[in-house]
Amino acid sequence: MSIGRYLLRRALVALLLVFVVSSGTLLLTRLAPGDSATDAGLASDPAQRARLRGELGLDRPLGAQYLDWLAGALRFDLGWSVVFSRPVADLLSERALNTAVLASVALVGATAVGVPLGLYTGAHASGFGPGLVRTLSVVILSVPPLLGSLFFMLFAARTGWLPVGGMTSSVLADSGWMTWAIDLARHIPLPALALALPLAATLEQLQSQAIRESLREPFVRAAQARGLTFSQALRHHAWRVSLAPVLGLYGLMIGSLFSGSFAVEVVTGWPGLGRLMFDALRARDLYLVTGCAAAGACFIALGTLTADVMLVAADPRRRMGDLR
Amino acid sequence: MTRRAALFVLALAAIAVFAPALAPYDPATAHRGYLSAPPMPPRITDASGWRAPFIYPVVLADRLAQRYEEDRARTQPLPWYAADEVAPAFLIGADSFGRDLLSRLLFGARATIGLSLAATLVALLLGTLIGGLAGYRGGWIDEAAMRLADFVMVLPIIYVVLVLRALLPLVLPASVIFTLMTVIFALVGWPFVARGVRGIVSGERTRDYVVAARSLGAAGPRIFVRHLLPACAGYLMAQATLLLPAFILAEATLSYVGLGFPESVPTWGTMLVESADVNVMTRFPWMLAPAVAIFFVVLSANVILRSGKIERSLT
Amino acid sequence: MNRQSRALLTIVIVAIILIPYAYCARGRDEAPPSALAPPPTEQPTRGGTLIATARSEPRSFNRVASRDFPTELFATLTQGRLVRVNRQTQEIEPWLAEKWTTSDDGRSFTLTLRDGVVWSDGIPFTSADVLFTFQAVYDEAVGSHYTSTFRVAGKPLTVTAPDARTVVITYPAPFAPGIRQLDNLTLLPKHKLEAALTAGTLAKAWTAATPPAELVSIGPFMLTRYEPGQRLVYERNPRYWRRDAQGQQLPYLDQIVIEIIPEQDTEMVRLQAGQVDFGQQQLRATDIAGMRTLAAQGKLQLLDLGVSTDPDSFFFNLRAKQWANDPRGAWLPRKEFRQAISHAVDREAFAETVFLGEAVPIHGPVTPGNTRWFWPNIPRYEYSVEKARALLEGLGLKNRDQDEWLEDDNGTEARFTLQTFRGSSILERSAAVLRDDLQKIGIAVDVVALEANTVISRMLEGQFEAVWMAFQGDLDPALNKDYWLSSGTAHVWNLNQQTPATDWERQIDELMTQQASVADESERKRIFNDVQRIFSEHLPILHFATPRLYLAVTPRVVNLQLAQSRPQLLWSPDTLAIRGGGRPAS
Repeated sequence: MSIGRYLLRRALVALLLVFVVSSGTLLLTRLAPGDSATDAGLASDPAQRARLRGELGLDRPLGAQYLDWLAGALRFDLGWSVVFSRPVADLLSERALNTAVLASVALVGATAVGVPLGLYTGAHASGFGPGLVRTLSVVILSVPPLLGSLFFMLFAARTGWLPVGGMTSSVLADSGWMTWAIDLARHIPLPALALALPLAATLEQLQSQAIRESLREPFVRAAQARGLTFSQALRHHAWRVSLAPVLGLYGLMIGSLFSGSFAVEVVTGWPGLGRLMFDALRARDLYLVTGCAAAGACFIALGTLTADVMLVAADPRRRMGDLR
Repeated sequence: MTRRAALFVLALAAIAVFAPALAPYDPATAHRGYLSAPPMPPRITDASGWRAPFIYPVVLADRLAQRYEEDRARTQPLPWYAADEVAPAFLIGADSFGRDLLSRLLFGARATIGLSLAATLVALLLGTLIGGLAGYRGGWIDEAAMRLADFVMVLPIIYVVLVLRALLPLVLPASVIFTLMTVIFALVGWPFVARGVRGIVSGERTRDYVVAARSLGAAGPRIFVRHLLPACAGYLMAQATLLLPAFILAEATLSYVGLGFPESVPTWGTMLVESADVNVMTRFPWMLAPAVAIFFVVLSANVILRSGKIERSLT
Repeated sequence: MNRQSRALLTIVIVAIILIPYAYCARGRDEAPPSALAPPPTEQPTRGGTLIATARSEPRSFNRVASRDFPTELFATLTQGRLVRVNRQTQEIEPWLAEKWTTSDDGRSFTLTLRDGVVWSDGIPFTSADVLFTFQAVYDEAVGSHYTSTFRVAGKPLTVTAPDARTVVITYPAPFAPGIRQLDNLTLLPKHKLEAALTAGTLAKAWTAATPPAELVSIGPFMLTRYEPGQRLVYERNPRYWRRDAQGQQLPYLDQIVIEIIPEQDTEMVRLQAGQVDFGQQQLRATDIAGMRTLAAQGKLQLLDLGVSTDPDSFFFNLRAKQWANDPRGAWLPRKEFRQAISHAVDREAFAETVFLGEAVPIHGPVTPGNTRWFWPNIPRYEYSVEKARALLEGLGLKNRDQDEWLEDDNGTEARFTLQTFRGSSILERSAAVLRDDLQKIGIAVDVVALEANTVISRMLEGQFEAVWMAFQGDLDPALNKDYWLSSGTAHVWNLNQQTPATDWERQIDELMTQQASVADESERKRIFNDVQRIFSEHLPILHFATPRLYLAVTPRVVNLQLAQSRPQLLWSPDTLAIRGGGRPAS
């Protein structure tokens, strides 16, 4: 199969996924108790709420409403957000960009730390260093993201080394591109650390396990017998083989990172997709929830595709035909 | 080390089973004068020398600051030996409701470990089956299974829970909640397992020994169990070490949307999330005790699973 | 693992076990809590940036369409009203109307508008803007939340404008609060919004996506920048009309930044780091002690806002429909059941446990914080387990088996489900205290904490047994008719009744209508005391304690005028000032 046809097929499947997920979300949100009209709560009488439902199209049969939404979505009109009184598509693109900045930094950081450390602990069964790394990674995995983010906030506030939360400072808003970029760079480390640490620990665990297995592979042993040093065998043979399970999960990581983490974004005040989803959920903002889920589906589809392509590129034993 | 970790897990299982006998207090009882009371460590020496284990009781010094002072003039025996009318003794402190943290930790071990273990096992089983099938058979089965995995991972699970919550009665028995959560966790967790297993199996199935086995007339299931599954064992062990802590923590998220255990059933995840508060971190750090408990469980799971003993017994 | 890693692991484990004990109760030195210092008064300097916070983002900049806090804050900072209720003194002050006269029957008000007031784009403010605002309030297509507020006895107010500076407002029936109500009404710029009203799209005008430059202002500030998810930046309105006693043009501040901080913990951390000047809400009980220490060190000002006027409400579903087919229907909706509960709760202990002692016990919906309407002689239910038991016995509830719970004649257990908001520590703690206290008299409470929207939607649909929640009302009972009247939208125990379901609700309806139409203040108070007496006999809502409220503010903010309701300081944005007119350290 040619790479072009493969990519085309995957793209179509991804579209189908987005379609199914957003439909499912729309349905679930309608079924869940409460809607945007309940949000007005005690300040509104039943007539007003009925009226609001009418305006938002919430009183129509689910099928009709769904078809309308679908027709709009085909024209990239994802509906209107009640919470923000803005089009959903605008909100999504704005927040997705913010999350993407954060996610890229966290992903690169987690990979740069987690994978080498996994190679290290996988190749060395015992010793002080590997013991330390393993213990740390377990500590990190035992802490919920909410607690982790709070801890970093507190740390930043106490030391004064980094700004406490937010994405930019109000003070520097119109002072040129460079200042803005530096300001952004000062705000990124805090949420990025909170996101990257659990990822790095996960990668370490997977990579470590995988490398230990691949070191037992006959061809790696053979390479060593051929006279390659242990570290050469590790770098040239074992590592590439060990990538399969790690990459299998890597795609999911990309997907969930780019859909935004609600705990980290809410606590650190990062205006990203995770927080948007949280706001939408609390207010039962139907189209916004659906839009967020659709965005998440896009990212997962992209992530798994990236991972699958990387898998083939990494493992010489596989051929293009293995791509699915 | 492995043996010690195994012993720890056994001890933990014993704790979970015998929690009612071991816990000094009822985990749901709020002691009103002791909100956020500090740990009262057991002691065996005082000014006069050695004596039977005892604690110094604390008295409230500042209600608003929830500050307590040790009353060195009085001593009292450990809670298990104390008469009913003595002041409560919180060996590792109390939470913000004045409930004994130690008792909550001991009782919490039941729901937390039971739930996360059950959910991890079911998720591993489901993931291995689906991922293995997808990797071994390939073709449309592979495609369908993997896209199903994608779908499950993207679906906002919180809404599924909200809808479920609306359909179920408000007050549910703990056993129903346990089953529901196990099912939900397993359904959420299997795709992570399946993707990795599929990656390994699809790589292995073209390799010489599998091809050889097939040409010798071995049937699909047999090849799968005898040759492909062992190849995944290491990966499955690593996944287990990741799913276990994730499920322990995820329980708290489900509680937020209303499918959690009732108050009388403490869990480590909910205890930990309840203490995710700046005041706790700066002034009442003993409330982070569940994090320590989770750490030990995850650590021993790691030690056991990484030792490769289980893995070798599979191969 | 080899020896080193074992040693390391041992160190980690020992450390984890020992660290908590470092925090044990051994004599720690802490600064003694100091008395609250009164806000310093000094002649304010012009200039400076104030940084405040909001928990959520504005849904809209259209005050007619939305009443959420960030929208209201936008209106307070940038828009205007005819008269203002001073949030500190509760007195009516002239605002865009500089004076007014009242007709003899008290139903008609002739207001004279201030001369020379212009919108921020230079267009003069006239009576046409006032007429236009009322037109929008009563417009069907707009469907404003104002519509029901500005109906008296079911009819709209009549508003006419004899000339550009005069407005005559006539109430269809006598209405005691009178023009106090106008404090609530944000005026709209006719020249900007007339087209939208004509087109029937006013409800969707001035949304959160409208460029700030299109939003004209008549208040002290103008919105200049909105960074979604992050902040709103307001700059001084150079055309603002108000001057201080020295004749200096207001506001003192150059800029107000509203940082959007979704999480209260984060807000506290940023406040302590000096990155914001004050938070959106009063301090949580658990935060007060820490702030007191910082205040003693001079790092913050801790301000006492007094006793809260909005106590949390615990109520049963009193719709007949709920209990018609329920075996508990014979006793659970009866007033004796609620009276027993009121006797069974130790209010002092409740205040100490839920609010860490920073609260006062209360016996009705009007708290001592509401000095004008509070009635100290309201009948009280003293803490008495015996009285509670006797009342329950009168309902036929006795312990008839081995367990600790009471049962009725048919063997149905005395048990109910209480819904409350997940994540609100005060409410969850209240529910826990109630459950413990009721356990002592043999009533079982199943506490179910759910996410807020679910609870509200169940409550609106009447699918609940009991709920504990918080909601806000106006200080003047006549402006709270949605709460008191049986037809009201906030008559929570039995919403929106066509006709009063019970005799006592009918009595309250009549008394409330009567007291809203009497002009004499002491007569109004007497009638309202009667309402409180009926309320306390039937206890449709139970109240146990109301907290004392505090606000922490950085020391650089001066000229503070404290109010208890949100926004506690920004209700008077033009007089707030920064000492020396600087920026915060960031």
